[in-house]
Amino acid sequence: MDTTRRGFLGAIGQVSIGAAASVAGADPAAAETGAPHWGMVVDLRKCIGCQACTVACIMENAVPEDAFRTHVSVYELVAEGQDPAMVMLPRLCNHCDDPPCVPVCPVGATFKAESGEVLVDASRCVGCAYCVQACPYDARFINHDTQTADKCTFCFHRTQAGLLPACVETCVGGARNFGDLNDPECEVARMLREHQVSVLRPEMHTNPNVYYIGLDEVLDGRVAGEAAYRPPFDAAPARHGEGL
Amino acid sequence: MSTRRNILKGAAATGAIATFGAGYAATARKLARGHWSGEVPADAVTGNSAPPEFRIDPATGELALNPEIALSYTMCIGCTTMCGVRVKVDKAANKVLRVAGNPYSPMSTDPFIDYATSVADSFRAMAQTGAGQGMAHRSTACGRGNAVLEQVANPRRVLAPLKRVGPRGAGQWQRISFGQLVEEIAEGGDLFGEGRVAGLREIRDLETPIRPGAPEFGPRANGLVWMNGVDDGRDALVLRWLKQGFGSSNFTRHGSYCGGAYRSGSGAMFGDLKQMPHAKPDFANARFILFAGTAPANAGNPFKRVGTLVAKARSEGELSYAVVDPVLNNAQNGPSGTRSRWIRITPGTDGALAMAIIRRMFEAGTINSRYLAQPSAGAAAAAGEASWTNATHLVIAEEAHPRFGRMLRGSDMGLAPGAEGDPFMVAAPAGPVPAGTGAAPLFHDGVAGTIEGPVRVKTALTLLREEAMAGSVEAYSAACGIPVATIDWLASELGRHGRRAAVNSHGGMMSGSGFYNAYALMMINTLIGNLNWKGGTMIAGGWFPDTRGPAYDLASFPGAVTARGLPFGRNGPYEKTSEFKAKLAEGRPYPADGPWYPNAPGLATEWLSSLAEGYPYRAEALILRNTNPVYGVPGIAHLAERLKDPAVVPLIVSIDPFINESSAIADYVVPDSVMYETWGFTKPWGGVATRATCARWPVIEPRMERTPAGAPIGMEAFLIALALRLGLPGFGPQAIPDAAGVLHPLERAEDWYLRGAANVALAGEAPVAEATDEDIEMSNVARIAADLQAVLKPSEWRRAATVFAKGGRYEPIGRSYEGERARHAFAAPMQVWNEDLGSYRRATTGTRLPGTAAWRAAEFADGSKVADHYPERDWPLKVVSYKSPLQNSYSVGAPTLLRITASNPVSLGTALAAEHGIATGDRIRLSTPGGTLESTALVREGVAPGTVAIEHGFGHRGFGAGDITIDGETWPGDPRLGAGVLLNDLGLVDPTRAHAGVWVDPVSGTAVRQGLPARIERLG
Repeated sequence: MDTTRRGFLGAIGQVSIGAAASVAGADPAAAETGAPHWGMVVDLRKCIGCQACTVACIMENAVPEDAFRTHVSVYELVAEGQDPAMVMLPRLCNHCDDPPCVPVCPVGATFKAESGEVLVDASRCVGCAYCVQACPYDARFINHDTQTADKCTFCFHRTQAGLLPACVETCVGGARNFGDLNDPECEVARMLREHQVSVLRPEMHTNPNVYYIGLDEVLDGRVAGEAAYRPPFDAAPARHGEGL
Repeated sequence: MSTRRNILKGAAATGAIATFGAGYAATARKLARGHWSGEVPADAVTGNSAPPEFRIDPATGELALNPEIALSYTMCIGCTTMCGVRVKVDKAANKVLRVAGNPYSPMSTDPFIDYATSVADSFRAMAQTGAGQGMAHRSTACGRGNAVLEQVANPRRVLAPLKRVGPRGAGQWQRISFGQLVEEIAEGGDLFGEGRVAGLREIRDLETPIRPGAPEFGPRANGLVWMNGVDDGRDALVLRWLKQGFGSSNFTRHGSYCGGAYRSGSGAMFGDLKQMPHAKPDFANARFILFAGTAPANAGNPFKRVGTLVAKARSEGELSYAVVDPVLNNAQNGPSGTRSRWIRITPGTDGALAMAIIRRMFEAGTINSRYLAQPSAGAAAAAGEASWTNATHLVIAEEAHPRFGRMLRGSDMGLAPGAEGDPFMVAAPAGPVPAGTGAAPLFHDGVAGTIEGPVRVKTALTLLREEAMAGSVEAYSAACGIPVATIDWLASELGRHGRRAAVNSHGGMMSGSGFYNAYALMMINTLIGNLNWKGGTMIAGGWFPDTRGPAYDLASFPGAVTARGLPFGRNGPYEKTSEFKAKLAEGRPYPADGPWYPNAPGLATEWLSSLAEGYPYRAEALILRNTNPVYGVPGIAHLAERLKDPAVVPLIVSIDPFINESSAIADYVVPDSVMYETWGFTKPWGGVATRATCARWPVIEPRMERTPAGAPIGMEAFLIALALRLGLPGFGPQAIPDAAGVLHPLERAEDWYLRGAANVALAGEAPVAEATDEDIEMSNVARIAADLQAVLKPSEWRRAATVFAKGGRYEPIGRSYEGERARHAFAAPMQVWNEDLGSYRRATTGTRLPGTAAWRAAEFADGSKVADHYPERDWPLKVVSYKSPLQNSYSVGAPTLLRITASNPVSLGTALAAEHGIATGDRIRLSTPGGTLESTALVREGVAPGTVAIEHGFGHRGFGAGDITIDGETWPGDPRLGAGVLLNDLGLVDPTRAHAGVWVDPVSGTAVRQGLPARIERLG
């Protein structure tokens, strides 16, 4: 049985946080050293599906053509007897406290940073893609330019400079919220105290640091992006009539 | 989980991505290939991520700039909203790396920071420091706004003047010098080996009538006609050149094929059918909003601001709302539960819904009688109202009366004019009396004893009630497809929240009934009485104008020409034409040879008919600036071919950075600046309660080639050079008067825009503060500091520098309200009856239309019902267009947008799909009386029955979708740029018009793209 801090909560699929001392993701040891423990709280009631985060991430991080480090899946949810409803689900690396991607790395290139990010040291990565396979959030890919594993870094280069991750800075609806889970004064810690939150793939017991407000349980396993439809690009798909 | 749920594959195409990456199979072999077989990134952990713009110590707030990076506040022009943004520039590479919001700007930030904040502190506001850790004043760019910087480096950008080779539209060009460009356009000649073409010098004849025997159309100079896109803050210079300099009165923008029907309907309500004022809900404080024909948080203007405010209000605030739309879109939000609700509607029938709601409000007594009873500004003030209406004013309701449909005035009763002119009359027991400072009867239907005898009169509100009662709620329900119970719920929600309820609309009104649909929706706000109230509806707070200010007069100058003549788009009274007079003399004044729209603004839609058919007269030269009617007007394909014939319009010039579908049929393409290379000042269209001016300036060096004098070749250099060559007034060394009347030069762009900035800086109660050296340095206004000092006076330049350093000028957010009211209030009365509308005759029928809100099924120009021409048995479906959050009509050249949504499948509902055996991914053919297209189907729950929906922004032939050949070298067409389909290919021409013209709304003259009659079939 999983006895980690939040594993038992994750199995239920929803996490209710009472006090700052037990804020999910908080690391008492790190709190003593003053190191932050970065986390994100995504309020799905505020996401408008504008994809500003998706594009800002691409621009900020030079994400290669065929990949995304983050994006927003857009779903049309149909409950029996009800009108269909739109759900926009921002997705990214969950920067798990128990990341399945780390132990599978044969060369130790993937690691957990002191401030909580799961990162890849590309100088060690051999591009074997075991981590890509191991990630339950489908959040990793092999960068075809560098031939190494690539993923969201929580904009490590920006947080080191005192800046917000690009996706958070540009979030039009204010859905993406970012901060130090160790700091009870922090906006994200407050949100975790005041709201019922959920995580994706709770059954994986990964202890993610990305939380959702308003996540319908039917979506908590939808991580592969397969629900959304991208029309296949066809070189000559459309015929424009010139009028009858 | 007790409820069975489906997640439809292919939900909304946006955000549609197969997987994060390319998967495992292709990469497993990399291990065998050995260590680091790819490119080595800049950093082992953060890869090729951009260098941070600055570093900040979260504890102390100490800021360290990155010397290689410039951060400048300017304006995004990725859509019509024109948000204030912060641009991150790699100085050495002259390249924009990324865009974020401007925290001073309400378009990008809520709440926006105080204008007095130093630039350094504005940077701190967006970093992880202080209260909210950078999220309290989070300032954003949208998805498109983040991507469109790519347009600057678009490989298909036009950087030098082009002249066509071979026939128009053949895609063959040659580069020419700036000197040749200006000379040929000014002087004309046998420019293309096709015969002589008149140049602008010849066309600029200010005396000879453009049409012999029809002096009402003004001089030959009106034969130069100018089509513009949206005012990006540069139109004031265009208008100076065209109207006051050249002397042509013919200028139009894109509104008639954008959201013009809404604006016209709102204009009827607000009493100004030319400027078309409109209000928006106070999103942050409203309790209930009915959105119909607009999709907050999905698209619209101001897109981000509305998205931010609605997201906040539905989660943290008290807002609930309904989105009435044929298509479920991002405006609805499942996680917000009952706070947001989608209601399906049959396309183009919003007026039926609105009239049903109005009927219910009359029946339930939820109209705001106390508000509506105030007949004057004085009465409203005395009653504590924030606005007033003409609901109680009497209208002449006798068909035979020469002033039928007009308001009864004091002069009709033999009264002398009062202090405020000829008074409006209200009902009283002993007969009509002038509207006074007390309440007046809401309803009256009687006879007034005028000086010319007894005349039937009714109050405006009586006429509205009659119109609403003309249909049963059941009949309205049948027309719009919304159940009576849902209509009742909407009426009840709108009634029970009092002035904290509001109705909002916009571009979804572009149907054949669009004008009256919009007027009817806006009428609900008037019956609620919510205008100028916190939580109700509010107009834009205005701006600090650039053209007419305390420092310089950019709007007028000595020697300016007064352009004259009835407009080319026939948006004036037919009764003033020689045609009318001649027909009247023959005893048959109606129908006219074509439609006229006295209650509409300039109409690009109708210009296309005028251009092709020469009615009311022929144009000799057409200038297109950053506009694309050939892509944007439904049904234009039926006319566009004609425009390729030089005999129809002898000279076409396009000023555009790209060869779009319209510049493709030009004779010359003048390059232009893009995004962050350009100048301009804009104001919010709406949704901002405070005064706001957004400033745009070149924060990077423009990429176009240079004139001999060293200016970038763009619109400004072109117009100034033409003006100097032709000797147009208002340009040259002595052109711009300052406050003392001293004339200053207008010889380059800086002469114009920097003086505009001085006006912005000095306007209002007090000027802005002078920019500090630190502000100038941190915002990189240092880049233009030498020009500021050279052009402006010592007392002006640092204040103008502040306007650029902070990306505009913004009144503090605290000045939004005065107690419970909007501080910037709309003063004129709401028109429950609009007499200009209620008294005019349609030129093509000689008949009248209601002067109040109404539901009317779509008609063609001759007054026949569209449904009679194209009956439901043949055309059972309705096609609608909807806006994408990402793509618009000119953004396809930003490749990152196509990474997210590569194409636009045709959406249809599950029932319709089942009926035709269509599944997602199937090929379908969609046909209307105007055209056909073939595409891929996307089957959804969220589409109204009998409706087929097409996302706008795809199906391009221009922008490089096809081959472009310049000087014999071909830029091969990129099929990705041409992906998908364009609804406008299905647009209809009006079969009842003598001169060919597209189907438009009969009052507003606006294009019809919502509710095209159609049929669908599955292919293969």
